[in-house]
Amino acid sequence: MQPILRIDLSTGTSEEYKIPEEWERAFLGGASLAARLLYPYLTKELDPFLSEAPLLFLNGPLTGTSGPTVGRFVVCGKGPATGLWAESNCGGFWGPELRFAGYDGLWLTGKAAEPIYLWIEDRRLEVRKAAHLWGKDTYETQEAIKQEINQKGIHVACVGPAAENGILFAGIYCDHGRTAGRTGLGAVMASKNLKAIAVHGNAKLPFVHPDRYATLRSESNRALKQDNEAHIMHEMGTASVANYAEYLGSMPAKYYHQGGFDGVDKVSGATMSDTILTGQSACHACVIACGRVVRLDDGNKRKGPEYETIVSFGSNLLIDDLAEITRLGELCDRYGMDTISTGNTIGLAFYLFEKGIITAQDTSELELKWGNAAVVHELVRMTAFREGIGDLIAQGSKRLGKYFGAEDEAVQVNGLEVAYHDPRGVSGMALSYATSPRGACHNQSDYFFVDFGHIHPEIGIEYFSRQAEAEKAANVARHQDWRTVYNSMVMCIFANVAPQMQVDLINAACGYDWTAEEMMKVGERGWNMKRAVNNKLGLTASNDKLPKALLEPLSTGGTEGFVPDIQAMLHAYYEARGWDEKTGYPTKEKLFALGLEDIAKDLWG
Amino acid sequence: MSAVFPSAGWLNLLEEKLNADSHYNNIAKNWEGDLVFDIQPAGTLTQPLLMYLDLWHGKCRGVEYAPEPAKHPKPTFILRSPYDNFTAILLGKLDPMTAMMTSKLKVEGSLAYMMRNVPTVLDFVRCCREITTDIL
Repeated sequence: MQPILRIDLSTGTSEEYKIPEEWERAFLGGASLAARLLYPYLTKELDPFLSEAPLLFLNGPLTGTSGPTVGRFVVCGKGPATGLWAESNCGGFWGPELRFAGYDGLWLTGKAAEPIYLWIEDRRLEVRKAAHLWGKDTYETQEAIKQEINQKGIHVACVGPAAENGILFAGIYCDHGRTAGRTGLGAVMASKNLKAIAVHGNAKLPFVHPDRYATLRSESNRALKQDNEAHIMHEMGTASVANYAEYLGSMPAKYYHQGGFDGVDKVSGATMSDTILTGQSACHACVIACGRVVRLDDGNKRKGPEYETIVSFGSNLLIDDLAEITRLGELCDRYGMDTISTGNTIGLAFYLFEKGIITAQDTSELELKWGNAAVVHELVRMTAFREGIGDLIAQGSKRLGKYFGAEDEAVQVNGLEVAYHDPRGVSGMALSYATSPRGACHNQSDYFFVDFGHIHPEIGIEYFSRQAEAEKAANVARHQDWRTVYNSMVMCIFANVAPQMQVDLINAACGYDWTAEEMMKVGERGWNMKRAVNNKLGLTASNDKLPKALLEPLSTGGTEGFVPDIQAMLHAYYEARGWDEKTGYPTKEKLFALGLEDIAKDLWG
Repeated sequence: MSAVFPSAGWLNLLEEKLNADSHYNNIAKNWEGDLVFDIQPAGTLTQPLLMYLDLWHGKCRGVEYAPEPAKHPKPTFILRSPYDNFTAILLGKLDPMTAMMTSKLKVEGSLAYMMRNVPTVLDFVRCCREITTDIL
């Protein structure tokens, strides 16, 4: 890989850092490599908003190579909402452009004395003033910086007002609505007075076997174009799964308390395609193009919502109006707030309002009634600017629940709001959420796809019934390892690329001679590395749990009253992982077997 | 009611089953679209084989075994797969969603319509399975 640029924002000084080769080989890149690099610097005492807190943007070895859906980068650090490992990856064009600018990462520490943005072109860094950009939304910021620099081919990653106001689920945004949305790293970026990073470059990307890679790249992209799932994603976006998910009971409704959503046909990806869709948008060199371009009544084209946003502002709040959901998604993107956490936390507010725990006195007289989109618009605005109850919503569901004495009603794990794949419908998500290194997350293991039937027996990912329990624990662990490879590459999980092709691409780009099994071992190492970071930050076995709502049966809908036996599943999972059930740490033996001897000594003494 | 796949007898029996099965009649009540099985040679099947089904509002209005390809040039859906995969689905060894998601079964037609009607598709497969006793 290319060097990382380490920048001290307090002084404006920078130096190039060469990633140790043995770490590249052991962790591949992206999030796993970031965990290895940041391990010494992330401590339990570290306040993510203090200037010394690191924020690391990292590419993978294939970023920008026009391979199958590999135009992504990841941002990592310590999560302000969770106090744990935080990572969030993002598509668009920014990651590839950073690579073309000559760097595979930016390692930021310190805090600028006043708002700034960074302009990096062909290994040249310029620190520019950004006071005039402070307060602008993410769309305006990108446009303003592009106009200011006035060159073609610039890509800008930035934060919006939500991050400036310290919202704990503020993200980092680029290319109009491509988001590193989860875990609040936008707020960390803003706490450093860093509004944006603009990049452009002309570097030739490093390949060990360029001809071999070019052949494989074409072959894999051709195969992807023929893939059913890719066709479905292209035609209907990620919300294509809405109907099937609702049928299985895995699409949450009414803040995870209602089985089924009658309005699913009004908000699904299929309906979007038939009504407001005008086109598709794609990340760098992606042949799928799952991004939606839609037109609403005002005649303007805009980003259409993906599945998580459709559930977050749709079935979760019992809103069945696709135009309203689209607008709410756009509002969050402009303010720079994660749609999953925003909708989830507002869902908790609605739920507590219904129960009488939150009253109109708490909400500036707003009636938090299910299905009322106008109220949700107002709450989103109040959250971004921390007005009234918005100041509490801005802190996420765990803290909102705690404030009203109802923390156990918050559907979150370790401070990160649960995504919209209900483990009562697809049981593998019980372990995905409970053991994810960044809190309840569907991208560390989108196991719902396996429960839908998407399997890879060639790497040991087999089919189990969608409501099987402990018997699928090892399979979930295997899937997590595989997705950890994705998050290292950094590759989009919507790419249905055969694992052998995946390892062939890595080998051609990096000059390795891995087998698929060796690639999976790299994934397992990365997963355990992140676990070790979290153990160092204080995470124990007691953190591996599900919120109360997900352990209560629903009397209607596709879950058919099923509740996963999370304790039995965790027991089998720990055994499969080689983790100590008492502490929640990877055992010393496991860490040694993965070549993490120094980590073993640090954790176990 | 059972038959060997693939055969004209199997297809006729499927037509009867679809028309008689009240669960299918109900779940597929909004379905509008004809369907072609495009079975590619594999295993014991040496020649390509087409089967045509006219499915409409929970009923099967007609079937044709091995029609000429030109007879139904633009059906609403074509399900294309090697013979082995078709039989694996019919014998319950391959989940139909797995077949679709892993591209073992290729789908031509409106994927939006298909995704909206997954319960109908799954119930159609149930009916196919229930009449299949054996394969050639």
